[in-house]
Amino acid sequence: MIVTRKHVSRRTLLRGLGAAVALPVLDAMTPALTAAAAVSQKIAPKRMVFVYVPNGIDMRNWTPATEGQAFQLPKILSSLAPVQDDVLVLSGLMDHGGMALGDGPGDHARASASFLTGVHPKKTAGSDISVGISVDQLAAQKVGTATRLASLELGCEDGHLAGNCDSGYACAYVNSISWRSATVPNPPEINPRSVFERLFGNEENAGDPAARERNARARESILDLVADDTHRLQAGLGQTDRRKLDEYFTAVREVERQVEMMEKQIAANSVALPPMAKPDGVPIEFAAHARLMFDLLAIALQTDTTRISTFMLAREGSNRSYREIGIPEGHHGLSHHRNDPVLMDKVAAINRHHMDQFAYFLNKLKKTQDGDGSLLDSTTVLYGSGISDGNRHNHDNLPVLLAGGSHVFKTGRHVRYSQKEPVSSLYLSILDAAGIPTDRFGDSQSRLQFLGDLT
Amino acid sequence: MHRFARSGFVPSVICLVAGGCLLGRSPQTSQSSAGVSLSYDQVVTPFVQQNCAGCHNEKLKTAGLALTKYHDLPSLLRDRDFWEKVVHRVRAGEMPPKGMPRPKPEAIAAVTDWIEQQFAEADQHTAIDPGRLTAHRLNRVEYNNTVRDLLAIHFKPAADFPADDSGYGFDNIGDVLSVSPVLMEKYLNAATAIANRAIPGDAIPGPTRMRYSPEHSPNDDGMALENRFDFPAEGDYDIKVSVSGRKEPFRLHLSLDGKEIKTADVLVQKDKPRSYEVRLHVLYGEHVLSSTMEPRTPSPQEVANAHRLKVEEEADFRKAIAKHPEDAKEIARQRAVSNPPTFIDAFEIHGPYNALRPPLPESYRRVFVCGHSPGQHNAACARLDLGHLARFAFRRPVTTDEVSRLVDLVAKGQNDGMTFEQAMRTGLEAILVSPNFLFRIERDPKPDDPTAVHPVNDYELASRLSYFLWSSMPDDPLLDTAAAGHLHDPNVLSAQVHRMLKDPKSDAFVTNFFGQWLELRNLDSVQPDPDDFPAFNAQLRLAMYTETKLFVESIVREDRSIIDLLNGKYTFLNEKLAKFYGIPGVIGNQFRRVELDGTQRSGVLTQASVLTVTSYPNRTSPVLRGKWILENVLNAPPPPPPPGVGSIDAAGGPLAGTMRQQMEKHRANPTCASCHMRMDPLGFALENYNAVGRWRTEDAGQPVDASGTLPDGKSFRGSAELKGLLAGNREAFAECLTEKLMTYALGRGLEGYDRPAVKQIVRDLSANNYRFSALISGIVNSAPFQMGRGEEATEVTASQVTKNIGGVK
Repeated sequence: MIVTRKHVSRRTLLRGLGAAVALPVLDAMTPALTAAAAVSQKIAPKRMVFVYVPNGIDMRNWTPATEGQAFQLPKILSSLAPVQDDVLVLSGLMDHGGMALGDGPGDHARASASFLTGVHPKKTAGSDISVGISVDQLAAQKVGTATRLASLELGCEDGHLAGNCDSGYACAYVNSISWRSATVPNPPEINPRSVFERLFGNEENAGDPAARERNARARESILDLVADDTHRLQAGLGQTDRRKLDEYFTAVREVERQVEMMEKQIAANSVALPPMAKPDGVPIEFAAHARLMFDLLAIALQTDTTRISTFMLAREGSNRSYREIGIPEGHHGLSHHRNDPVLMDKVAAINRHHMDQFAYFLNKLKKTQDGDGSLLDSTTVLYGSGISDGNRHNHDNLPVLLAGGSHVFKTGRHVRYSQKEPVSSLYLSILDAAGIPTDRFGDSQSRLQFLGDLT
Repeated sequence: MHRFARSGFVPSVICLVAGGCLLGRSPQTSQSSAGVSLSYDQVVTPFVQQNCAGCHNEKLKTAGLALTKYHDLPSLLRDRDFWEKVVHRVRAGEMPPKGMPRPKPEAIAAVTDWIEQQFAEADQHTAIDPGRLTAHRLNRVEYNNTVRDLLAIHFKPAADFPADDSGYGFDNIGDVLSVSPVLMEKYLNAATAIANRAIPGDAIPGPTRMRYSPEHSPNDDGMALENRFDFPAEGDYDIKVSVSGRKEPFRLHLSLDGKEIKTADVLVQKDKPRSYEVRLHVLYGEHVLSSTMEPRTPSPQEVANAHRLKVEEEADFRKAIAKHPEDAKEIARQRAVSNPPTFIDAFEIHGPYNALRPPLPESYRRVFVCGHSPGQHNAACARLDLGHLARFAFRRPVTTDEVSRLVDLVAKGQNDGMTFEQAMRTGLEAILVSPNFLFRIERDPKPDDPTAVHPVNDYELASRLSYFLWSSMPDDPLLDTAAAGHLHDPNVLSAQVHRMLKDPKSDAFVTNFFGQWLELRNLDSVQPDPDDFPAFNAQLRLAMYTETKLFVESIVREDRSIIDLLNGKYTFLNEKLAKFYGIPGVIGNQFRRVELDGTQRSGVLTQASVLTVTSYPNRTSPVLRGKWILENVLNAPPPPPPPGVGSIDAAGGPLAGTMRQQMEKHRANPTCASCHMRMDPLGFALENYNAVGRWRTEDAGQPVDASGTLPDGKSFRGSAELKGLLAGNREAFAECLTEKLMTYALGRGLEGYDRPAVKQIVRDLSANNYRFSALISGIVNSAPFQMGRGEEATEVTASQVTKNIGGVK
């Protein structure tokens, strides 16, 4: 639903940008916050963002030479200088589920599918996709009801258009890192205009408040009706069809919740207003596209429209070329660099170009006030890839860095772990920090050490 | 297309119609074939001992395979999938490998034919398993088309939906198509948008702004812009076109529906905004706005202006560099980027002013079948209207209860203060987000019994047909045929297929099937390096696509042999593409049929579209092209390189020497050689075509060598000879195309139990000169297309989910 400025006063706008939405869920969770309880609740990292880059990284130019504080930023990370104190570079983490484990080729599909799930995906071209719930969705299930959108999935590259995806793996594995369940991926939204409309509504529902409320009521009735339809339908179906309709039903329930929330916000006159103009469409140049998406993401967090997001800067195995920085070759092709320094330098240039956009996002979060701290303080941001060296396709010693949440995590350091530490351990720690303590996730049952006072 | 009238149908269907003979024909029918009397020990054992056992024995197990562990027919049949591959590779001459003694062709034929016969025999005795189709969510194309056919609405509501994931190379695979909350949000918004257009309010639309300003890709010269606009009412509109980029002298033309409405000179003048506006009275509905530019001789004043602008710009540039010498490179880059050649930037339309009340759209008539005049609707009509709509939307008869619940919803809306029309919009929205509309769901009498094989019902068959041939819902005649219960009658079915392929809606089949099989869809996203390939621009891209589309369409519509896809000696060209190909005598923008005798082209392999989607942005890739042929023509996809080895040719980086010399060097590596000796020669044959498909005789200053040798020892020189070899192996291509088309037609991956149906279709093709109609007919008459079954209830997935979620405190 679109709300134009003339309907709501400036004061409501300000209320919409943070304070107006009550936080019952987080309040209820306070006892569960153990070490983090000492931290002012307003600056606890209750939001989380996971940013993914494909094809691995030129690790020569990623890993800082020294450990601990005051490390020298390597070339790829150089644009992080203004926020270095808010960043934790974590070396030596491993994505066990990405390994072949007898399944043969297909490292790209496995990397993206297992990165946030910690689960080895089932090798299939389509009939029985199965991996695991991803960390963002686990969090969304627990705290997503606090916001209108339980989570927001973004991307800069549309799904594969034609042909095969990766060595007998279905395209869903390379197109999404966010998985609602073992079998249902969350596709990323590519078009900034569509993201804007999800956050602020589209023209179809414009109108006076009475009409909008009436339409919202009609929507609820429609959703009730189709939910009921689903149950009637499921009765005589086999298990796969029932499962398909379960997916549908879950989606209906989620949207129903959003509609109810929107109704409440309309009633309380606390609907957030768009602080930017509606984007026209998808910019062609990567940097412009990525920054626009990061802008929208920052707004979504700032307005508390969602607290959980994933963002694929490109889909895994992407062969996009970056002519604007002088690289006409495809990224995936270059990542098979055969240790040729010329090709490796080009990979590093692409890695750095991605990182520059990410640094833009972190700077933006840092400059945005949120409660007693900045938006970066209240957000845990992870950046990484499920492949380390694109040439070797190895899934250990992954490029991973954490930013934000600096009242819980001891940021501004480079930490090196043993080569076998699963990246899933990091997710358990991130969940802890967000007040969602969990016994085990993916292939890990322990927290990652040395992150800060939390452990 | 008269071929569809033929009466030969596959045995399974005859059985089906006769009823009750799902166990197949009696064994006697094929007992007479010559080889059957020979035994395993007489045929397979000696061949394996002589040709395979040296490497593939239980000790060495080269490539992990031991052929010596099989001793009789039953053990061979148990590993059917494996032996199918063995037969394939031996027959293709790939095994025994180069360098080993090669068996005589007769020996190869004898052993492979014998095994195939045993397979066929085994299939006769195996119960038919048609497989089953998972509840199939409409994909984006199907959604758009279905809405179009349901309501006569022509905007594309699914354009904003998330991309559909593909499986098995296609985006209509039921198992893969899922529903996320994002998609559900979009379904709701789309339903609202559709309902608002289908049942417009009686208000006269007020003026709004419509704008179209696409991003320009590096390959687009920006000299033309075109867009379709929906004018909400008859009235006056301000129509504006604006130009950006460098100040250069052009003449600009603006047209509505092809009729010029404004001409203007784009002047070289400083600080002059360059937009050109005209007020026009426009009728209600869709109109195409287009604009083009052509260079113009500048006036003396403009020449002086241009000079002054250049001097000023140069001075600014120097000043900027002097101020920040360390950023000189970046400043130069930005200058290049921010100062593109003149291009047509945007259309903007304001209006309508002085609008007239818009006429009621066709959709209005489709919804309100009750027949009352506007504003006079009777609530009792709701039942009739909604029942009618739901039957089409759900593609089957609807129950009284289903309609009642929709009627109640509408009544509820009216009680809440909506007008009847507004409330009917709610009813329409409910239909459009119903699982009955969004999914194609087939009912199995015994859903949990995988042996409960049964013909799908007539409505389900109607939907299978219409989504196969139209990517859309069944129309009136098809639903009526289904209602009469006649669709399983082979003659009736054949007549429907014939009718449906003649319908323009079958364009969806051509676009979607061939667009994905040939990977033409990727043509939209390729970005050949504009420095290396300046000829490639938006118009050429479109021309390439159009050529291939028209060509494959001619195969379908003229019922030609599928082998023509490989080496048909004709194509469709316009002037732009003909010039690009160096083919004289084609003038104008119209595509027309062109005979290719005496040219360097024939079939899809040497069409620029296919050559471009199988290249890197900056150069050709024999590996990608070879892989494409293996996957899409020969049905023998190569495995990807093992980790650590890296792709020979994945780098796409600059290479010294010819492409071919580089490749040969890499192929010296034995790890790579086994696969690349299958892939690369195929690609080498196409080296005479550059990365955008233009003919060349030199690469990196040296003559192109387009010769090669296939793994079976057959050698060729150039693409024509390769195509000759490929076309000579008709069965392999027929099987490949059959599998691809069957996957698309069913919307599921093929399984071992589909093999008999595929082989039967290939035999039918061979008996019918490989005509395309035999392929379609074979598929729609096959057991997998006509039948369904239940599935085993395992509930593995549910426990899997719990396991993966992990314990939350």
